[in-house]
Amino acid sequence: MNEYKILFTGTMGAGKTTAIGAVSETPPIVTDVVNNDQSHTKERTTVGLDFGQFTLDSGDRIRMFGTPGQSRFDFLWKILSKNALGMIILTDNSRPDPLGDLRVYLEGFADDLDIMPCAIGIGRLDDHPSPSMDDYIEELARHNRVLPVLQVDVRKKDDVILLIDTLLAQLEAGMFGE
Amino acid sequence: MSVNLKLSPAAKVIAGREAENFLNDVNGVTAVVIATVDGFDVASAMRAGDAARVAAMASSISAISSVVSQEANLGRNKSVTIDTESGFAMVYSVHRDDAELVINVIADGSAILGQVAYRIAQFARVLAEA
Repeated sequence: MNEYKILFTGTMGAGKTTAIGAVSETPPIVTDVVNNDQSHTKERTTVGLDFGQFTLDSGDRIRMFGTPGQSRFDFLWKILSKNALGMIILTDNSRPDPLGDLRVYLEGFADDLDIMPCAIGIGRLDDHPSPSMDDYIEELARHNRVLPVLQVDVRKKDDVILLIDTLLAQLEAGMFGE
Repeated sequence: MSVNLKLSPAAKVIAGREAENFLNDVNGVTAVVIATVDGFDVASAMRAGDAARVAAMASSISAISSVVSQEANLGRNKSVTIDTESGFAMVYSVHRDDAELVINVIADGSAILGQVAYRIAQFARVLAEA
């Protein structure tokens, strides 16, 4: 049995806590508190970490860690990304500048992205078609990254599992050294 | 980014004044930062450093201590002390109706742990009732 550690990061409000809660088999560990940041309407926000677990059909275990979104918590990004096997970056297309948001994580996790697989999950794309998937791929290319980009609704378990499977497929394809 | 802080202006004034007093009265204390639970500094008094970063870290420590106390059925979290080679940091939770706050104190090796612990608890009581 293998144990994989996967990191969920991305914009505040994109659904990192929701995604982990959607697939976790144990009640997720959540460190959300009252949000005072007026640029987001959400009531609560993660300031520590999220944690959940789930088992693949193969019996392998996934341990999921979620980061806070805001860059003032970047000291935790470094701690939480340690020894992760892969990373999922979630964006929220209803935000004013989703590609700018994506850049924050591409740059903040640049060292990690050199050594681990990553998948990008775009949320709220149906209601907010711009930027398009192609725009995301072009933005990634500007950072010399070729990464899978998926449209997701992180409230749906299947969508979150698809993101995780996309990471594992990259690992199995041997695209990253052990 | 604008912060919509519900904390009463009177409490904010008291937080600032008490932080200054704390820094000046207690030997070895180098920083006192009062922050919201989501990591924004509300008031601070410090000899050096960046209050915004201290505030963010204090809120993470407090949130993690809160989840640990819940998981262990130990009631509401009160404080965390990080003891180091050359001093210590203490994070103390303040439960108010209008805003949940954390007080973060950083002290060097000349500070006395018990003295800071006593004073920070006193500060938290004053701030909870302000």
